[in-house]
Amino acid sequence: MNPSQDEAEVARRLRDTIAGQFGRSLHIRTLDTGSCAVCEQEIRLLAAPHYDLHRLGFFFTPAPRHADLLLVTGPMIRAFDVAARKTYEAMPGPKVVVATGACALGGVYPKDPFVHGNVGALLPVDVWIPGCPPSPLALLYGLSVAVGRLAEKAPGLTFIADGDGGGA
Amino acid sequence: MPLWFVRGLRRGVVTTRYPARPDDSAAWLPRPPAFRSWQLTREAADRMVAVCPGPALSRRDDTLVFDVGACTACGRCAEAAPDAVAPSGEFELATTSRSALIKDIPIRGGGR
Amino acid sequence: MNPLDLVYVAGGAWLAAALAGLLAGSRRPGLLTCCAVSALGGAAAVAGGGWSLVYGNTPVVAPGGEAQTITGGPLELQMTSLAGVFVAVLGIVAVAIAWYAPRYHQPGRGTAVYLAVGNLALLACLAVLAAGGMITFLVAWETMSLACYLIILRHPRSGDSARGAFWFLALSEIGFLLVVAAFVILSTKTHATELDPMAARAHLIGGGWRAAAYLLALTGFGFKAGLVPLHVWLPEAHPVAPADGSAFLSGVVVKLGAYGIALFAFRLDPVGGTWPGLVTMGAGALTAAIGILYAMAERDIKRFLAYSTIENMGIIVTAFGAAMVFGAYRLSALSAFLLIAGLYHVANHGCYKTLLFLEAGVVEHAAGTRDMDRLGGLVHRLPRSAVVAFVGTLGIAALPPLNGFVSEWLIFQGLFQGFRTGSHLTAILIVLAAATLGLTGGLAIYAFVRGFGIPYLGMPRTRQAADARERGQPVAGPALLAVACVALAVGAPVVLAALSRAARTVTGTSLGPLLLPGKLTVLPAHADFSAFSPTYLAVFLVAACAVPALVYLAGRPRAASASVPVWDSGMVSFRPRMQYSAMTFSAPTRVTFDALYRPAVSVHRASDDDPAGRSGPVHYEAQVTPVFERYMYRPVIRAVEWLADAIRPLQSGDVNVYLLYVFLVILLAYLLGAV
Repeated sequence: MNPSQDEAEVARRLRDTIAGQFGRSLHIRTLDTGSCAVCEQEIRLLAAPHYDLHRLGFFFTPAPRHADLLLVTGPMIRAFDVAARKTYEAMPGPKVVVATGACALGGVYPKDPFVHGNVGALLPVDVWIPGCPPSPLALLYGLSVAVGRLAEKAPGLTFIADGDGGGA
Repeated sequence: MPLWFVRGLRRGVVTTRYPARPDDSAAWLPRPPAFRSWQLTREAADRMVAVCPGPALSRRDDTLVFDVGACTACGRCAEAAPDAVAPSGEFELATTSRSALIKDIPIRGGGR
Repeated sequence: MNPLDLVYVAGGAWLAAALAGLLAGSRRPGLLTCCAVSALGGAAAVAGGGWSLVYGNTPVVAPGGEAQTITGGPLELQMTSLAGVFVAVLGIVAVAIAWYAPRYHQPGRGTAVYLAVGNLALLACLAVLAAGGMITFLVAWETMSLACYLIILRHPRSGDSARGAFWFLALSEIGFLLVVAAFVILSTKTHATELDPMAARAHLIGGGWRAAAYLLALTGFGFKAGLVPLHVWLPEAHPVAPADGSAFLSGVVVKLGAYGIALFAFRLDPVGGTWPGLVTMGAGALTAAIGILYAMAERDIKRFLAYSTIENMGIIVTAFGAAMVFGAYRLSALSAFLLIAGLYHVANHGCYKTLLFLEAGVVEHAAGTRDMDRLGGLVHRLPRSAVVAFVGTLGIAALPPLNGFVSEWLIFQGLFQGFRTGSHLTAILIVLAAATLGLTGGLAIYAFVRGFGIPYLGMPRTRQAADARERGQPVAGPALLAVACVALAVGAPVVLAALSRAARTVTGTSLGPLLLPGKLTVLPAHADFSAFSPTYLAVFLVAACAVPALVYLAGRPRAASASVPVWDSGMVSFRPRMQYSAMTFSAPTRVTFDALYRPAVSVHRASDDDPAGRSGPVHYEAQVTPVFERYMYRPVIRAVEWLADAIRPLQSGDVNVYLLYVFLVILLAYLLGAV
């Protein structure tokens, strides 16, 4: 299913705005809302020499006051509502929320009473990164999409493998 | 000269050039499946929906609704219907709209 | 017309204020009249003290002629330059307290008596400072002690009041005894009771007697000044006295101890040799360090400030001691310089310590408690008091550009020049004193960040603190002292010029261009050592604050901004008890110096009692061991009690035994007469 025209328009404007504000320096604050911590391991691997997110101008920061982007993992357990809300509000604008991992996208605990199921139920998510866990390469791609450096491919993919492969 | 410096010079640069250039390790990553619509039957679709541990697969009339975001790449749908599933090879799946990750796969394999 | 006339005006005003207070203080108009007259006296004292710095010593005056007073000696008054600083401090403290008292005290009989005694104490202090003769000095000193005892005992029925007042009185009397002994030695050896002849003939006394007199004076005045280990009355007496009483004690009375030491060291009994100066300097340095260390362990604001007073008195006495050492080595410029620095610190401390005690009183009345751990967030509830207290805190922590920084800089620059004495041992000891003062300075900043931050900043820790209100609290008196602090800092060149004139009168050395080469620069008695301009520093710091302000105004975001709560790691319920408490803030110091504190710690964990080891509340109690009281004073007290018990059988109550005593004494007198 392709996104509707106005969604695409909003997305493009958002990307342009953010790209203009952040340039080549983005500070990321990670937020674990109850994940199994494997997404965290992949995120931590981003700072390792092989993937090295610093060369792209991305940095991790623990302080929401200094952060531009909130990277959320986990299914958003209800007990974490207040903390997640406070973290989001403590970030000064402009800010971007990226939800990553199948849990955060609503895939693993859709009906569990202790969780919201997906991060979008509580926070306004701008970019979704699927994967279980998302590999560091997928995360780098997702972060680049979030700052408008790369165009997103997912709307154009069909996942229909008739003939050559899974491409559009 | 410290040993690690010499070792580093010998080994060369290990940092990936991604996303400017593609990375070899991408081939080893588990990826969400792609579906062969002509080999996909309703029965196979129902089998896959039943065996999928999450809400990634569901069937709506003659369409298999595949939520890429909910897929954990566990591979059970490939075990249940090996003819209908192929590796997609896609891992660059980030998107700004959640609905862009919900794909409709037409079931063209006929009933049985 | 000389400064002594202004002293008469001040003394007369205070006498009148005492009478007014006693007769009319039960009603509000009487209270206001008494305070107004007292303030007038204070203003006269400030003027007289300041003038006498540049005027020099007035001649001795004996009002009432040579008639014997009831105390057996003539009343002799003389206004000296050395006393000038102390009189000025007395004056400004009197003005501040007079402005503070109407809103602090409720009119009534107790207040009437209290005001009368308070003004009497002011008068007695003035008489001590303006005494031209030994008898006047001693009578005035004792009157001051008794008046202060009554001031401390303002609320006799409340808890520790009697205990605190008794400690003050007991140690005061012991000190007085030693001071009397010192004066007696000097006067019998010089055959004079007036101070000028005593000073003139001091060189005729033998070295041993002079040394004994100086040591007696140092110890006797040390009881009043709060030198360690003679300081124990300070933390006991200050909390129980009313706020203006504590302010008076710390602002003026302990300074009289320093005045006494300076009087003996520089005027009456300048002992040759370096050891008196080194002993004084060592006592001062030790006092400073121990004072601030004990201050770190206090939760009660007034006890904390009392220990800080001990620390500052240590600094002043160190400066005087070092001045004596340099004098013994004939480095008269440095000696005069350190005397000036010590006197400057007297003036500064008089201003900001009084201010802090008055603010402690405001806090106590507004929030109902003196315990720092029950306060917090007062900067929003008592905004003006918080600003004034902040100025006082900046001053006492010796942060530029305020006055504490200037005087401590001067003291340090004087001490750093210890190498000029030429003696290795002396130089090392002076460096040790400087290092101790350095430690003290660092700990003082730490202590006062705690002393201002815990009660005033953050969130209120109890409902009482949250309900504090500034309505009806005195602000003007402490604010005057804050202005004085700033004036003493920015006007440092003027103050130093006046003090150097005073030092010339006392030591005979004129510093002139070695201290103030230009209008605004200060040199530490040598042109090739260092230089500093307090005025330029103050201007520069204010201007430097303007730069970030301009940057903000030019570049602030034009978009709307949201106001969100403080980031607290996303806690669900942040309770004020989760903030730093006074004791946890000072925990690093207490752990480092636990050999001094020797805390008696008791920990009880709920899991110790539970058979399954389940966790629960932990009860932690730590008590600082009162080392001096337990190991120095208790044994002496017990020895005295034992002695009293041993002598008691003499008073058997049996008339026959008493007749026997009478017979024995007559027999003894007869035998002695016959021989």
